Amino acid sequence: MKALKILFYLVCILLIVSACSMPPDSSEKYDVIYTLEKVSYEETDAERSREITIAVVPKVANIPYFNAAEEGALEAAKDLGINVIFTGPAFADAEQQIIIIEELIEDGVDAIAVSVNDPEKLAPILLEAKGKGIKVITWDADTLPHARDFFINMVDPETLGRHLMDILAWNTGEKGEFAIMTGALTASNLNEWLHWIKIQQKEYYPEMTLVEVAANDDNPQLAYASALNLLEKYPDLKGIIGNSSVGPPAAAKAVKELEREGEVAVVGLSTPNPMNEYLKDGSAQIVTLWSPKKLGYLTVVLANNSLKGIDPYDWQEIRKVGNIRMVDDMVIMGEPMDFTAENVDQYDF
Amino acid sequence: MISKAWRFKNYRLRTKLIVTYFLLTFIPMSLLGYIAYNQYTASIEEQVGEYIPKLLDQANENIANQIREISSLPEVLYNSDQIVEILRNDALQNRSSLMQDEFTVNTYLSRNFINGESPDILGVFVLSKDRIFQSTKIPYSNFGLDQSLSYGQNIELNGEEVFLLPHQTSLRFEGDPPFVLIMKQLNDLENRTDLGTVMIAVESTFFKKVIDELNDEGNADLWMMDKNGRIIYHTDPSMIRETDRESADYPKIDGSFRTVQEDESRLISLNYLQETDWILAHSILASNLTERTDLVRNVTIIVFLIFVLISTAISILLAWNVSRPLNQLTNVMKKVEQGDFDVDLPAGSTDEVGILANNFNSMVLEIKDLIRKNYQIELKQKEAELYALQSQINPHFMYNTLETIAMSVEDDEKDTVIEMVTLLGRMLRFSIGNKEDVVTISDELSHVKDYLTIQKIRFEEKLDFAIETELDTEQYGTPKFILQPLIENAIKHGLVYGNKTHIHISVKRERRNDGTEEIIFGVRDDGSGIQPEKLADINLMLEAGSMSKRDDHFGLMNVQARILINFGSTYGLTLSSSLNQGTDVQIRIPALLKDRGGAHNELKKN
Repeated sequence: MKALKILFYLVCILLIVSACSMPPDSSEKYDVIYTLEKVSYEETDAERSREITIAVVPKVANIPYFNAAEEGALEAAKDLGINVIFTGPAFADAEQQIIIIEELIEDGVDAIAVSVNDPEKLAPILLEAKGKGIKVITWDADTLPHARDFFINMVDPETLGRHLMDILAWNTGEKGEFAIMTGALTASNLNEWLHWIKIQQKEYYPEMTLVEVAANDDNPQLAYASALNLLEKYPDLKGIIGNSSVGPPAAAKAVKELEREGEVAVVGLSTPNPMNEYLKDGSAQIVTLWSPKKLGYLTVVLANNSLKGIDPYDWQEIRKVGNIRMVDDMVIMGEPMDFTAENVDQYDF
Repeated sequence: MISKAWRFKNYRLRTKLIVTYFLLTFIPMSLLGYIAYNQYTASIEEQVGEYIPKLLDQANENIANQIREISSLPEVLYNSDQIVEILRNDALQNRSSLMQDEFTVNTYLSRNFINGESPDILGVFVLSKDRIFQSTKIPYSNFGLDQSLSYGQNIELNGEEVFLLPHQTSLRFEGDPPFVLIMKQLNDLENRTDLGTVMIAVESTFFKKVIDELNDEGNADLWMMDKNGRIIYHTDPSMIRETDRESADYPKIDGSFRTVQEDESRLISLNYLQETDWILAHSILASNLTERTDLVRNVTIIVFLIFVLISTAISILLAWNVSRPLNQLTNVMKKVEQGDFDVDLPAGSTDEVGILANNFNSMVLEIKDLIRKNYQIELKQKEAELYALQSQINPHFMYNTLETIAMSVEDDEKDTVIEMVTLLGRMLRFSIGNKEDVVTISDELSHVKDYLTIQKIRFEEKLDFAIETELDTEQYGTPKFILQPLIENAIKHGLVYGNKTHIHISVKRERRNDGTEEIIFGVRDDGSGIQPEKLADINLMLEAGSMSKRDDHFGLMNVQARILINFGSTYGLTLSSSLNQGTDVQIRIPALLKDRGGAHNELKKN
C-alpha cells in the first residue's frame, strides 16, 4: 500500500512537471512554433484604403492629346481607388501653370505630376511643393532634374526624333526643303526631339534642308496660321514635321486648303482621331505617337507607387501598361506607334 | 499533507531511509530524463518547424515564378498587331470575315500556346465581343461558353488575373486532369478599352513536381489549397478537389504550428502564395519526426530502470545496514530493561553504530559492576551490623545475668545458678560458636528459649512465655538472630510494672498465593503496647527498609533489613499494637528446607 501511495505521488509530480511543457492556454487548438518574417498583407491593404489625391497638370487643357491623357489618368484613379485632379491652363503658359500648382499645394494634394511648359520657370514652385512634402514628378515634358523625383517620358527622345525625321524622308524621297512646327520654344521635350531630328537629317539625309522652325505655343489657331504662312513662304517646300500634337492637323488642314496634297508631305506627332480624315484623304501621310491615355494612366500609377514608397525601376511591369524602361531618373513608357490611313481606324483618341 | 508528513515521521527508520534514498535517486533521474527528452523532441520539432516553412517558401517562390510565367502568357497576344487588330473589331461583320478572323486567331493560339514552350497548357480560350477563339490540346466538355459566361458581353475583371479552380467551372478535359484556369483581361493598351478575356487552362501538375520534390521521404502530406481550404493539388490524389475543413482555424501565418487537440500531434506548416491567394501546406505526424529519437528514448528508459533498480537495491542494503544494529540494540536494551544484565551486543563495525554498541556494552558492564559493588557493600555492612548486634547483646545482658547469678549465689540458690550458667553458656556458644547465617528454626527457638528462661529467672513472676510450633522445626532453616531482638524489645517495652507479662512465640507454615511456602514467626506480648503515632512511625520505617540511625529501633530495623536484602520485599516484619493491650510482631520468611540448606548457609554472598 505504501509503495502504491509513493508511486501515486511520483506520478502526480511527473504530471505537474509535464504540465509545464504544455501550452499555457489549452483552449488554443494550435501551438505556433515558427513564423517566417514577411510583410503582412493586411498592412498593404490598410495603406491602400487611405485616401490619396494625385494632381495631374498638363501643359494645356482641352486639346485632344491631353484630353486623352486625362481619360487614362481617370481610368487609373478608378482602378486604384484614389482621387485624381486633372487640371491645366487654357494656354500652354508657364505662369498659368504656376498659379494652378500653387492652388494644388494649398489644397494639400499628396502628389503632383506636371507636364512642364517651361523648365526654368516652373522649378521654384515645384521645389516649394517638394519642400511641403508633396511628391513631385513630371510627365510628358520635364523640368530641371533637382525640382522633381523622376520624369515619365513617353518614348526615348532620340528614337522619336530620329523616327520623325525618317518618316518624313520616306515621303519626300529623302530630298528637298522641309519645315518643323513646334509648340512652345521653351518646352524641353519638344526641343530635345528637335535636336535629334536635326542630327538625323545631318547624318543620313544631306539632300534635305530645314528651312524654318515655327513655334505655335500649342495653340491650334496659331498653328494653322503658321502652316499657311510656311506654305506660302516656301513654294518648294516638300514636307512639314509637326513636332507637337497641334502641328500635324494644322499643317494637313493648310495643305488641303491650298490643294497641295501629294506635293507637301505632312508627318509628325499627333493623336489619330484629329488626323483620321487627313490621313485618309492624303493630306497627311504618317503621324506617329504613343497612347496619351496610356501615358496618363502610367503617370497616375507611378505617382501612386511613389507615394507608397515604390520607385519605378527598369523593366518594371505595370498592370494594363506593360513593361517600362528606366534611364537614370527618366521613365520611358514604350515605343512610338505609327498611324496611317490603313490602321488609323483602330485607334480612338 | 501535514498528517501524511506526520505519518511519515512515524515510519520505521528503515522505511524512511529506503523511501528517501529511492526518492533521491528516482525523482532527479526521472525528472532529468523526462525534461531532457522533452526538450530534445521539442527542439527537433522546432528545427523542423523552422526548416519546413523555409522550404515551403522556396517552393512557393518556384511556383510563383511559374505562375508569373503562366500569367504573362496572355501578353503573347499583344505581340501580334494582327491579332490585336482582329480583337479590336467586333462580331458585326459578314460570316466569311468572321471565319477568317477565327482561323487566324486559332492558328496563332495553337502556334504560340499549345505547341509553344509550356507543355502544361491544356487549352486557350479567347472571348472577345461575342466571339470565341480557342485551341486545346485534348478534347473538353461542358465549358458552356455560349450561354453562361458572356451573354454577348465582355467579362470585366478589372485588370486582375483570376485563377479559377476546377470546382469553380464546369469545364472538364478528357481524362480529368487537375487544372487551373487563368482568366485575364485583354486590354487595348492604346485605346484603353477592353479587347476581351483570355482563359488559359494549365494542368496543375506544374506544381506537382515542386511539391512532390518536397516529399521525397513520402511520410508527409503536402497540398495546395485556396484560402477557403479547397484543395487544388494534394500528394494524395483522392484529396484533390476536396476541402480541408480545418483550414479556417489554422493560424494565419507563414510558418509552422503544432496541433494540440488531436489524438496524434501533427506539425503543420503553411506558406502563403501571394500571386494567387493560395496556401501551400505541409503536414507531418510529430511522431514521424521523432522516430529516430525513439531508440534513444527506449535505451534511456531501460538504462534509467536499471539504475533505479540498482539504486533501490543499494538503498535497501544501506537502510538495512543502518537499521539492523539499531534493531539489535533495541532488543538488547529491552532485555536489560527487564533486568537481564548478562547481555553482549556484537559490535560488528567501527562506525557510529558500532561505537554505540560498544558504548552500550561497556555501559551495561559498568552498571552490572556498580550493582554488584553496591550489593556487596550493603551485605558487608549488614554482616558488620550482625556482629555488632551479637556483640551488643553481650555486655548488657551479661551484666544483668551475671548480677542475677551473683544474687542467686548470695541467696545460695545453687540450682538456679547452675541453670543460669548453663543457659548463658549455651547462649554464648550459640552466638560465637556457629558462624553460619542460617540455623534450624529449632536452634533459633532454643536460643530464644534460653534467653527467655534467663530473663524469667531474673524477672521471676513478672514474666511468662510460651513457644508454639506447628511444624517440624528441625527441617526448616531461618536466618540467625531474627527472634532475639524482637523478644528483647518485648521485654524492654512490654513489661508493665506490677503486672505479669506473657510472651507468646509461634511458628507456623503457610502457603502463599504463588504456591511457595512461607514461615511466619509471631512474637506477641500483652504488655503496654505502643503509642499509635509511634506505631505509624515504626511501620513507615519498616516499609522503607532502611536504617536511618542507630536508635532504639535498631533491633527491629536490623532484622527487617536482613530479611529484605536476603528474600526481597514480599517478606519482612509486620507490627501491630494497641495501647495497654500488647504488641504483636510477625516475621515472614520463605520456607528454607534444611535438607537443601547447604545453599542457604551462606545466603546471598555474591
